[in-house]
Amino acid sequence: MSLLSVKDLQTHFIFHDIDNQLREARALNNVNLSLDAGQILGIVGETGAGKSLTAQSICGLLRPPARIVGGSVVFDGRELLTLPEEELNNIRGADIAMVVQNPRSSLDPLTRIGEQLVRIHQTHTSGPLDGSRQKAMEMMQAVGIPDPQRRFTAWPHELSGGMAQRVLIAMALMNEPKLLIADEPTTGLDVTVQAQILDLLKELVARFDMASMIITHDLGIVAHYCDQVAVMFAGEIVEQGTLRDVFLQPAHPYTQQLLASTPERIKLGAETPLGGQPPDLFNLPVGCLSQDRCPLATDICRTSPPMVNLSIDHSARCHFANPNNKTAKSKGKKNG
Amino acid sequence: MNSTHSDQVSLATRIGNRLRGISRLSPTATAGVVIILLFGILALFSDLFMTHDPVSSYPDRILQAPSAQHWFGTDGNGMDVFSRVIYGAKFGFGIAIPAVIIAVIIGVPVGLVAGYRGGILDEVLMRIFDGLRVFPSIILALAVVAATGQSLINVVLVLGFLDSPVFARLVRAEVLALRSSIFVESAVAVGNPTWRILFLHLLPNSIQGAMAQTAVRAAWAVRISATLAFLGVGIQAPTPEWGAMIRQGAEFMVTGQWWVAIFPGLALIFLVFGLNLFGDGIQDILDPRRRASK
Amino acid sequence: MKFSQFILRRTLMVIPLLVGVVFLTFMLIRVGGLDPVGLLAGPTATADEFDMIREELGLNQPLWKQFLIYAGNVIQGDLGESWLSNRPVLEDIKSRSLISLELLFWGIGLGTLIGVPLGLRAAFRPNGRFDQITRILSLLGFSIPTYWLGLVMLFVFFYLLRWAPPGMGRISLMVNPPDFITGSYLVDSLLTANWQAAHSALSHLILPVICLAIVSAAPIIKQTRAIALEVISSDSVRYARACGLKTKTVREIVFKNSATPIITFVGTEITGLVGTMSLIEYVFAWGGLGQYGLNAIVRGDFTAVQGYVLTLALFSVLVFLVVDIIIAVIEPRSELN
Repeated sequence: MSLLSVKDLQTHFIFHDIDNQLREARALNNVNLSLDAGQILGIVGETGAGKSLTAQSICGLLRPPARIVGGSVVFDGRELLTLPEEELNNIRGADIAMVVQNPRSSLDPLTRIGEQLVRIHQTHTSGPLDGSRQKAMEMMQAVGIPDPQRRFTAWPHELSGGMAQRVLIAMALMNEPKLLIADEPTTGLDVTVQAQILDLLKELVARFDMASMIITHDLGIVAHYCDQVAVMFAGEIVEQGTLRDVFLQPAHPYTQQLLASTPERIKLGAETPLGGQPPDLFNLPVGCLSQDRCPLATDICRTSPPMVNLSIDHSARCHFANPNNKTAKSKGKKNG
Repeated sequence: MNSTHSDQVSLATRIGNRLRGISRLSPTATAGVVIILLFGILALFSDLFMTHDPVSSYPDRILQAPSAQHWFGTDGNGMDVFSRVIYGAKFGFGIAIPAVIIAVIIGVPVGLVAGYRGGILDEVLMRIFDGLRVFPSIILALAVVAATGQSLINVVLVLGFLDSPVFARLVRAEVLALRSSIFVESAVAVGNPTWRILFLHLLPNSIQGAMAQTAVRAAWAVRISATLAFLGVGIQAPTPEWGAMIRQGAEFMVTGQWWVAIFPGLALIFLVFGLNLFGDGIQDILDPRRRASK
Repeated sequence: MKFSQFILRRTLMVIPLLVGVVFLTFMLIRVGGLDPVGLLAGPTATADEFDMIREELGLNQPLWKQFLIYAGNVIQGDLGESWLSNRPVLEDIKSRSLISLELLFWGIGLGTLIGVPLGLRAAFRPNGRFDQITRILSLLGFSIPTYWLGLVMLFVFFYLLRWAPPGMGRISLMVNPPDFITGSYLVDSLLTANWQAAHSALSHLILPVICLAIVSAAPIIKQTRAIALEVISSDSVRYARACGLKTKTVREIVFKNSATPIITFVGTEITGLVGTMSLIEYVFAWGGLGQYGLNAIVRGDFTAVQGYVLTLALFSVLVFLVVDIIIAVIEPRSELN
């Protein structure tokens, strides 16, 4: 039994526009993934592929007009999608913790950081304040914040980006979560700091034996820190498997092009490696969602491609899933 | 995002859809429009609705309570309050519309130029506007109108003038944001003369926010002009303007003849409310903070 | 930076604004066609007398010279003499300012106490029942003319119900005002245990204060709601939700982060509300600065108008300064801390 099991998750944006037409953007289309304790899963994809939305859907942090319209999310044996909001709130910040982008603006600007650490602990455990303070100090030390005594009373705006991110990690760990979700944890930080933060994350995940999900658009980060990879495009997972499998033997044309045309550390922008515009979520094609940009597309792609299992832990959603595909821009297999 | 059906659907249906869409997104805007239209009809076709001549007095029927003959009663001069209230709608629109138009005509170009050119002109203008902000607008309007002469034209001019900083500021802010955008820079690079850039490129894109304000500023103009009349500045009795009517009715409020002042007040509230509803609704639609349905 | 340093800096920054205000006030009166000479001279004056008065008022001088004379006078505290009251304008203003301040204080205080919680509550459940009703009420508040509201309240509570006293002044004519301590009849009579005066003062205060409160609450509700909605969609509140903080805690975070913009807004609203207050004073014959000023404008008491407008503007500048300082003190991100 996996710790986290997401099956056929569908999240749509539904609203009426100014012409009174009902618009529906299919942002997540049958997302399937699973995670166990001790695993670090990297979810990678271009902007708008649905990575952050997946995390938000799992945690129940969607805002209208986004809605979950189907699927199931089972965490630690409990179905999250049918839990009442209050119980979901108890899980957030405790069993499932998030580390987000923009750490400096995410911290409450009017509360000292030590108090914020204590606050998140007190929210989820009932214990004496001193115990929380003690733990806050320990966590600050664990994440490498120098001089924790002094920093305890610091204001968020006094911290640098890297330091603030460490605080966020400490916040996440206060309640010993089973699952840690890091959504673009290093975007916006200095390059040198990025490596430090990621090293820290990897070390802590191992130390506390957590399951972890790292969401990023940076293939290099995935390559260095994750042991599982899921590649997303147009709101679905097109390929997933162990790091070795996906990076050394990519089977889906999208992944292949990705790895072939990019040097190790690449940022995926709005233009997909397959060329062309980002997919129009209001008007997705029938059948395979990537067909509009795929060099291998033929008539059969008008039917939904199956999830092909290339090995126990490696699968790709394509009619032609095969590590030996000759995609137009592919120069052969590339080492990630 | 364009629906692929739009080519096949008739214009009437599209307009109907757009209207329905707007009313779904903002019922307040719709309600506001209805009220404004109602008053507009009253103002334009007041002859159809008035029961008596608004400036004829019936000396034998002074201060009569509302009755079947005089629906809103009669005032201190024996004039029919109902007809005067209906006629007063003309003043509401007659002052507010020109005043807002003047404010836009003055404010928008000033905002465009100040935002685009920047420099000393911009600095000076902004300082002046900032300086004006410390004066309560009512008092300012009052003082200037009292000083410059108490005619209807003056009221309209002064209100329009005092309202222009709002539009200027809004347009200027938009222009500042757009000034360094790619499409403006390319227009400059191609060699367009300044006036073309201002009016063909910048104006259509900066004007949205300002337009949303027109209803709100019109509401303000209606209110202030009534306030001026109430204080005896601008329009005087026996002109059937709502503010002047309230002024006349004030002394009767404490002796029990409530109808003289209350009905014009209600009309005033209703029209201003409609304008505010509409303005608020439009701002809601234009603002990304609106929540989606379903 | 040190507190005294900060206050000094802020005060210095305000000086150009003060100069501008004096200038604008000066221009305001000069700009109109109102002829002060005609008013002072009366209908039977000869041409010579006109010239004499003109010279006495200094209207022969070039404009910039007139301004300098005016500015110089202002700094020395000479605001001219009111031809209506035949007293120095400064005296008239001084004696009335506290009276208006009392009304302003209670009115805006009550308006804020009503408006902020309503706006916050509306923001927590946007587009819900409460929100829709509150927004309608707020827009209604924007639409009701204050003076009309005052008249209606007098009609209902004085004429119909006989609960309130007639709208004349701050205390019943039959009652002796209390000894002067703060200038507020209510506070002073409470302080001197003069219960009769206290009761009278309170009953006279209620209606005008409620009028002002209603009118000031409307924009406060609207803006508080807008501010709170923005804070709710900010990164820090989203993160707070992701941390699983209890709803009560999240609401506290929203409130604290909204406080500064709300205070700033109320500060700017005070400027406009002073004008509204003047109207209320007029309707209730409050005897304060507002009534004095409105009378002056309507009757063409040109020096009094100038003094009145100048005082209002200076008051606004003072309010801005105070708000600035308050925010600098409570905000951890300010340069003071």
